[in-house]
Amino acid sequence: MKRRKRTEILIQGDGSLAKALAASITQKYECREVSVPEQGMIMVKMRESAKNSLFYMGEVLITEAKVEISGKIGTGLLVGMDEQRATHLAIIDAAYKAQLPEAVDWEHQLLEEEKKIRMAKVQQQAELFETKVSFETMEV
Amino acid sequence: MGYVPVKGGTQAIEASIKRLTYERLKGEEILEINTILATMGSMIDQVMSESSLYSPELAALAIKQGEGSLEEAVFLMRAHRSTLPRHYYSETVEAETMLVERRISASFKDIPGGQLLGATYDYTHRLLDFGLLEESMETNRRWLEDYKDNFSAIQGSKEVVYFPKVVDYLREEGLFETYKPDNTAPTDVTKKSLQFPTTRSARLQVMTRGQTGAVTSFGYASLRGYGQVHPTVGEVRVGKIPIYTIHPNEVNQEPEDQFYIGEIRITEVESFVPVTVKNDNNKDELEFEIGYGACYGQNETKAIAMSILDQCLEHPNTDFPTHDEEFVLLHIDSVESTGFISHLKLPHYVTFQSKLDSIRQVKKEVQEVEN
Repeated sequence: MKRRKRTEILIQGDGSLAKALAASITQKYECREVSVPEQGMIMVKMRESAKNSLFYMGEVLITEAKVEISGKIGTGLLVGMDEQRATHLAIIDAAYKAQLPEAVDWEHQLLEEEKKIRMAKVQQQAELFETKVSFETMEV
Repeated sequence: MGYVPVKGGTQAIEASIKRLTYERLKGEEILEINTILATMGSMIDQVMSESSLYSPELAALAIKQGEGSLEEAVFLMRAHRSTLPRHYYSETVEAETMLVERRISASFKDIPGGQLLGATYDYTHRLLDFGLLEESMETNRRWLEDYKDNFSAIQGSKEVVYFPKVVDYLREEGLFETYKPDNTAPTDVTKKSLQFPTTRSARLQVMTRGQTGAVTSFGYASLRGYGQVHPTVGEVRVGKIPIYTIHPNEVNQEPEDQFYIGEIRITEVESFVPVTVKNDNNKDELEFEIGYGACYGQNETKAIAMSILDQCLEHPNTDFPTHDEEFVLLHIDSVESTGFISHLKLPHYVTFQSKLDSIRQVKKEVQEVEN
C-alpha cells in the first residue's frame, strides 16, 4: 500500500493499529533512532476560491520521528504532539521502504481499519445531518 | 541633553513576578489543560488563529499561563513559534476536501447539498444559564447518553459526503467569473517584511492571522460607510481539512507517496459583492465579485470580516481607510498592536523630561515677553 493511503488510515485510526504494526517490526528487526522525535512546524498552503490563487494559511505544530531499519530511513509525521505515534509511523515507513515481508501482510489489516474509519465518519455525518435545514415556503 | 543611563528595580521586578504567581495561585484552584481543551474551544481557536500556529494543546497552555488574557496567550504562542523548526510546506489544500461540520448560505436557501447548521450560537437566547452554576458530571453524562440514543436508529449513506461550493454552481451558470488555477508561489510574511504595494497572498496571510477584534471592527467600518463593500454571505463553512506533504529529500515522488499528516479545523467564507463594470458596449453592468476569508478554528465573524476587507483591498481607494492596505494590514496584528501600545508603559523618562524642558522653556519665553 502506498504511503498516502497508509498514513491516512494509520493517523485517522485510534493509534492501536500503528502501535501493533510497529511492534511486530521492532520485535524482529534492529531499529535505530536516527534522531529523537521532535516538534516542528509545517506551513499550510491553501487555495482561495475567489481568484483561485495560493496563500499561506499559517503554521501547524507537528511531531516528526526518524528511524533506520535494514539501512532504510523511515519518517513519521503527524499533526500535534505525539512522539510515540510519530515513532510508530516512522517504523512502518521504514518497513515499507526496506520491503520487509511483514509489510505485505499488513494490507488486509489496513483495509479493514479503513472500512472502520469510513463507517465512523458516515455515522458522525448522519448525526450531523440532523441539523440540516428543511425549508418550507409560506403562503402569504 | 544627552541620554542618562539608569539602573535599578531588579528586586522590584523579581518581587512583581512572584506577585503575579501569587495572584494565579491564591485562589487554590487548578485549571487542567484538558478542561480548557474540552470546554474553551472558541478561545483556543482565537489564540491559534491570531498566533498563526495551529496547536490546541499549546494554545490551551498559553491560555492557562496567560490567565485568560488572549493578547498574552497569542504573544506566548508567537514567541514559542519562533523556537520551532519548519522543515515542511504542505501540498496545496483545496477547500473542497473539507469534511464539513457546518455550512450555510445567506444568499440562497436551496444550495446543492443543503444548509447544515452544525453547532452554532446563532439561534440561542442570550440569557445567562444559571443552571451551569451547579453543573454535575453525572447529569452531563446522562444528557450525552440520551443525545447519542437519539441517533441509534439513524442510517447514514454508505460513503462520506463532500459538499460542492455554492459559487461553483453559480460559475456553471456563468454568473461569476471563472479563474484558472493560479499557482504563483505565495509571499510568506513570516520570511519577509511587508512591502507596499503588497501581493494578494500577503494580504490574505496577514488578515488570517489578524486580531479578531481588529479585523471585525475594520470590516464593520467598511459596512458603515468607511468603505465601499457591503456583501451578501455566499457561503460560510466550518470543518476539517486534510493536510498532505512530501518529503523534502526524496526524489521522484508520486502523489501517492505523499504523507498524510492529519487534519485541521478551519472556517471559510465567500462573500458575494455587487460591482459595476463596463460591458463591451461601454455601458454599466452589474457583476458579482467574491471576497474571501478563512481562519483557523470556528471564528465566523472574523472570517466574514476578512472577506469584506479582502474585497476592499482588491479595490484600492484612498478615500476610504478600509481600502488602504497600509492602514488595514499594519494595524491588525495582535502582537504588533498590543506590543506597541504596551511599550508606552516602559520608562520614557528621558523623552518625557525633554518634552517638559521644551514646555518650560516656551512658558519662560512667553512670560519674559509679557513682562
